[in-house]
Amino acid sequence: MRKLLQACLWAATTVAALAAGPARSQELVIGLQAPLTGSQSQYGELFRNGAQLMVDAVNAQGGVHGRKVRLALEDSKGDPKEGVAIAQKFAEDPRVLGVIGDFGSSVSMAAAEVYARAGLPQLTPSSSHPDFTRISKWQFRNIFTQAHEGRFTAQWLREAGVRSAAVLALQNDFGQAVTDNFARNFEALQGKVVARELVVPGTRDFRATLTRIARGKPDAIFLGLFYEEGALVMQQARQLGLDVRFFSGAGIYSPRLIELGGKAVDGLQLTSGFYPASTEPRVQGFVTGYRARFGAEPGLYAAQAYDAAGILLEALRRAGGAATRAQVRDELEKTRGYEGVTGRTSFDAQTREADKPFIKLVVRDGRFQPAP
Amino acid sequence: MDLLQQVANGLGLGFVYALIAIGLTLIFGVLNVVNFAHGEVYTLGAFAGVALVTLAPLPLPVLLAAACLAGAAAGWALERAAFRPLRRFRDEASQKSRLLRESTLLSSLALSIVVKEALDLWFGGAMLPIPPQVLLQSPIRLGPVVLTDGLLLIVACSVGALLFLQWVLRRTATGLSIRAVASNRLGAQHTGVDIDRTVVMTFVLGSALGGLGGLLVGLYDGSVFPGMGFNPGVKAFIAMVMGGLTSLPGAVLCALLLGVSEAVATDLVGSGWKEVVPYLLLLVTLWLFPRGLFGGAKERV
Repeated sequence: MRKLLQACLWAATTVAALAAGPARSQELVIGLQAPLTGSQSQYGELFRNGAQLMVDAVNAQGGVHGRKVRLALEDSKGDPKEGVAIAQKFAEDPRVLGVIGDFGSSVSMAAAEVYARAGLPQLTPSSSHPDFTRISKWQFRNIFTQAHEGRFTAQWLREAGVRSAAVLALQNDFGQAVTDNFARNFEALQGKVVARELVVPGTRDFRATLTRIARGKPDAIFLGLFYEEGALVMQQARQLGLDVRFFSGAGIYSPRLIELGGKAVDGLQLTSGFYPASTEPRVQGFVTGYRARFGAEPGLYAAQAYDAAGILLEALRRAGGAATRAQVRDELEKTRGYEGVTGRTSFDAQTREADKPFIKLVVRDGRFQPAP
Repeated sequence: MDLLQQVANGLGLGFVYALIAIGLTLIFGVLNVVNFAHGEVYTLGAFAGVALVTLAPLPLPVLLAAACLAGAAAGWALERAAFRPLRRFRDEASQKSRLLRESTLLSSLALSIVVKEALDLWFGGAMLPIPPQVLLQSPIRLGPVVLTDGLLLIVACSVGALLFLQWVLRRTATGLSIRAVASNRLGAQHTGVDIDRTVVMTFVLGSALGGLGGLLVGLYDGSVFPGMGFNPGVKAFIAMVMGGLTSLPGAVLCALLLGVSEAVATDLVGSGWKEVVPYLLLLVTLWLFPRGLFGGAKERV
């Protein structure tokens, strides 16, 4: 019943918003490009929900400088070509003052070239390829880079007594970056990398790859995968009888990892930027709000998008009532100590990289728990 | 020893492709048109099985039967929606028309996109959670090699399906009419074969196997999602082309060859090369045997 009411309310506000055509010029528009359909649509959905929750919260408190904020959604389908087309569309629309997105590094980086030329600030909540922010001064990210994460995870594995590791990652910009950064740091700490396996995204049978990895007898396998592939890899590894520890960066974090992987993902140790069971009131408020609105658990990417929208809106607010894209960019650069649900975030003025805390988690008894 | 394990892994992949290739080849043989929606029939079978087991903890045979039924129903509907309307032109010129063949090809492609996007909207693009008790991943140790119950079941079903189809084709009246339509549709029509009924039977048979395959693979890999039909569908298509387009045993053998080559290539060169191998094999085959490995004497390419 509550859902039905929500749906009606949603429909009514949408119709009202459409009917109120002339009022649109008063709105502030921020763009969101994400894979809303296609094989990555589950992540795009988290993006949309997270960002919308923040935008609605700000609108409920009167918007930014008395103006309502509208989130303009575009579906990139996880395709770099679509990403470029969307970037062109946003760039040509003078009302759009900033863009959140895209999800994957490949799409974000393709779109970034357009945003760089057009001079439109782009803030990605998830793309962690090191080259992204180097494209121009218009690119920002609200997630730690693979360079940070590689250093952190390599050290963690060494401290946990792992002497030799194999890397299993996706064959795309994300997976390449995970592999390079982890392997470089792990070797620098006298660890041995026995295999670097890159699998084509969309692979569902990893048995051949796992058999090859097992031959090197690694102490641990480090995963550069998202939760779907992660769950499959761990299930199939258990089935093949691999006796090995699993580690991963934050990319794999999602409540659905456990839902899909069941017992097989028990023991996985991972970093995360978001821990929904945290006792912090800000995090709890977000989690309950998300559950009530969407009837699902928020994953890392929902939290990331929520904070990205928050940071962008904060920059809009500081840029004043008649902000230009350049002013919004300058204010984004000055983001310091933003208190979000993914921790205290500051942007480095030179590199436009986010400085955020890491959390160590472990999957135990079917739950994510803080790792010792 | 690792090589043996890789061959086992590869046979797993190969039999998965084979299950799809059988239905695809059967339908191609009769209509002379590639059914692009076959991958979606496979997906629907998997979704039907998983949706059912999420509602009630039914035993595996019931689920497999349900996947078969869902596949058969999807095949029947597919034939109605995408193929029959384009068969209403009965004259000889239309039946040989290239344009009409291409239209049929596109209508099945269109329907496959509609089905995939509908599943995507309804269930979301993510993988469905599968209750662990129905997963076909229990290891079975055979000396140095680890197999699974899923693999054995897939092998049994593929071989069973192949033998069953051979029996249907050689020993039953329906099989006779399928073979008649495949060899010369106009001739069959003139001798009183009910073309529509035969085509429907072909679709139902091929799609039932497709649906069954979808669920088996979903439970074996632990992965059911709207886009699951695409990749194996392409590999099955390659197997069909390599096998000579209309030969069922040819398609199965080539599917196995593809699977084993992928696994062995993963071991020898690395995971990144796995996807290149089937296409290389296809190129080499078409270069040396333009009519496929089991294409027979009929001029096709």
